[in-house]
Amino acid sequence: MEPLQYFLPQVWFFILGLFLFLYVLLDGFDLGVGILSLTASSEERRSILMTSLGNVWDANETWLILMGGSLFGAFPLAYATILNALYLPAVIMVVGLILRAVSFEFRENADNKLVWNITFGVGSFLAALGQGFALGSVFEGIKVDAAGHFTGGMWDWLTWRSVIVALTLIQGYVLIGSSYLILKTSGELQNTHYKTATIATWTTLAGAVFITVTTPLLSGQARALLFTSPMVFIFGLIPLLGIVLVWLLLQSLKNREENTPLIWTFLLFSVSFIGLGFIIFPNIIPPSVTIYQAAAAMSSLVFMLSFIGFLIPIVLAYNVYNYVVFRGKVVGDS
Amino acid sequence: MQFFSDTVALSRLQFALTAIFHMLWPVLTTGMAIYLIVIEGLWLKTRNLDYYRHARFWSKLYVLNFGIGVATGLPMAFQFGLNWAPFSESVGDFFGTVLGFESTMAFMLEASFLGIMLFGWERVPPVIHFISTILVAFGANLSTFWILSANSWLQTPAGGQFVNGKFVVQDYFQAIANPFMVNSFLHMFFATLETSLFVIGGISAWYVLKQRHAEFFAKSFKVVLAVLIAIAPLQIFLGHLSAEQVYHYQPAKLAAMEAQWKTIPVGTPADWSLLAIPNDRAQRNDWEIKVPGALSYILELKPTLDQPVKGLNEWEPANRPHMIGLIYYSFRVMSGIGIFFAALMIVSVIQWLRGKLTGGAIIQEKWLMRGWIFAAPLGYLAVETGWIVRCVGRQPWIVYGQMRTVDSASHIPPGEVLFSLVGLGSMYSVLLVVTLFFASRIIRKGPNLEIPAPVFGGQPALGLELAQHQQDSRPVEAQQ
Repeated sequence: MEPLQYFLPQVWFFILGLFLFLYVLLDGFDLGVGILSLTASSEERRSILMTSLGNVWDANETWLILMGGSLFGAFPLAYATILNALYLPAVIMVVGLILRAVSFEFRENADNKLVWNITFGVGSFLAALGQGFALGSVFEGIKVDAAGHFTGGMWDWLTWRSVIVALTLIQGYVLIGSSYLILKTSGELQNTHYKTATIATWTTLAGAVFITVTTPLLSGQARALLFTSPMVFIFGLIPLLGIVLVWLLLQSLKNREENTPLIWTFLLFSVSFIGLGFIIFPNIIPPSVTIYQAAAAMSSLVFMLSFIGFLIPIVLAYNVYNYVVFRGKVVGDS
Repeated sequence: MQFFSDTVALSRLQFALTAIFHMLWPVLTTGMAIYLIVIEGLWLKTRNLDYYRHARFWSKLYVLNFGIGVATGLPMAFQFGLNWAPFSESVGDFFGTVLGFESTMAFMLEASFLGIMLFGWERVPPVIHFISTILVAFGANLSTFWILSANSWLQTPAGGQFVNGKFVVQDYFQAIANPFMVNSFLHMFFATLETSLFVIGGISAWYVLKQRHAEFFAKSFKVVLAVLIAIAPLQIFLGHLSAEQVYHYQPAKLAAMEAQWKTIPVGTPADWSLLAIPNDRAQRNDWEIKVPGALSYILELKPTLDQPVKGLNEWEPANRPHMIGLIYYSFRVMSGIGIFFAALMIVSVIQWLRGKLTGGAIIQEKWLMRGWIFAAPLGYLAVETGWIVRCVGRQPWIVYGQMRTVDSASHIPPGEVLFSLVGLGSMYSVLLVVTLFFASRIIRKGPNLEIPAPVFGGQPALGLELAQHQQDSRPVEAQQ
């Protein structure tokens, strides 16, 4: 193959990874706040929680659409096969995200706000659950034939490991949501979320350790990948970095710092995400279909890159601007 | 019961359901976004707080619709992979690229600046707010452009060819600018604008009729009417151009639109069918009323045809659309509404010119206002029926003449599709009822005429001090 035929799919793998990463990070805290809102004790608290997301949830969710659209264009085979394999988790996620979105608008106009607070929380939970199952089953591998078409069954995505991945992702979202609320709120409400952040740190850590340990134990392919030089150093480094970051996060929570918990959580997510990326690469449909097999025609990749690649910095810039405009603490909307 | 074990039929039904339901919301928001630019521009220019209050009032309806639009658009983004995997794989090089463009160029722009547009009145200077409103509208309509480019490509594929069942692109720009693209985009662009203008006009008319803030809503009514003078006739013309394109590129669809079973040869006058009862099984119309010679005038502006109008019997039943009655009546409903809109616009403009819409006179125009209230929901019906003509009429093809719909559906168990179909269907039914309830509540509650000018950086952003210098505008106390 020409060098370009290696290079372009790799570039697109990276871009899609970036979109997915931004989605998980940003909608991660939206969904986390949504799940946490189920435990909020008063209408005033729930109102602050939802207001903290009012101006950003839509843009954050759009990263998922960006990922979906770009995956369709850059790796049509992966878009088709993965969604076929994950039909039910994807439907659960979509239903959850619909509930979450409409609850915002309905609550705004409703007299009985509690109903829509509950659908908001339940929607957020379902979306996180669907995503967790999807992540878990992609990670475990999808049954395909030689052409890369899905050959598995309707319930393939449901295994005890994907359940654990789903639970861990939910914990991770709660953690990132708590850290976000520490930044955006004050007083008693902030205090509550120092507590939820600390608990979620430990539960996320437990899940992450379990997944990290069982992956090489269960999969020969992962073993072969992990324990050969130079990969062994990278994969040795990731858990180490992770432990350092968890320690820093717990310290910052203990010291009641306001900005740093979110930073450490973001970095912790980044490290885990990079780790996952290394395990999956160069596959796009694990365990066997590579990015080179699933890629669209080279001309498509070039054409898309020339427009989307050019737009990425601009899109990032105006997203940052949006956060800058709405910086600062959220106060109750009486 | 056979239907419930047919994955293709269930997948088609699900796509139709999700697309028809999704369409209801962006149709209003893409058009209304342009109206919001106009109204905010008027505020910035005249410093009249009424326009600011209009912007705040209509954006309440806007955001309700926008939220449901985003929510129901999500299944659309994934449905191609979920239910149409062979199609996605086959045409992904082009079709996926365009959907990728839509999300990066259009959705993100709209979603990011929406926050500033809704909540940023006191967080950014008025100019930045105005730019945000423009970017929201630009994003929304850019999205219309990409979707219509992609759908037009399915109707008139160009820019490459199918090799072993996979579409290989040779020229992306040619594929994007396929034969249907320009016309279809313009027709849809003006459809969203016209629909939302009649919704805004209809709601304004309701307030005028009820004599609630009649003067305030006479303003929005006239803004709407002024814009419609150009748009209502233009839309009929664009519709006509689209039908001519169908005549040239998709003769089987034209035959279905006209329920024409037998070919009308060159050199003869073509009758236009006004009403009919098409019988798909017997391949003829059981009953019909025709206008002699009218179709040759509609298509070619001549008494006799230069090009034959092919009848449905020219094609094997497997190669032509079915559900002829649906296509035939959908087309008539859409065109009828377009003509009704233009007529209502003309009557209203005449009344305007006669001075019947100024000052307190407008509340005397009871029948005109009732006409506008009646017209408010019709735009939606026209858009939906238009899309039914477009997409049911192109069957059995998913990519016209190249790829069949039956070959495009995912090979998944019908139970799976039934699960999502029932799930989405029941959820959408509830959503529709609840959204209508809240929309009517927003309307019944009415605008907040007490709302002061936004304050940015400790200073009133616009309006107050300037209003004091304008002797002829309303007194400051009334605006507070």
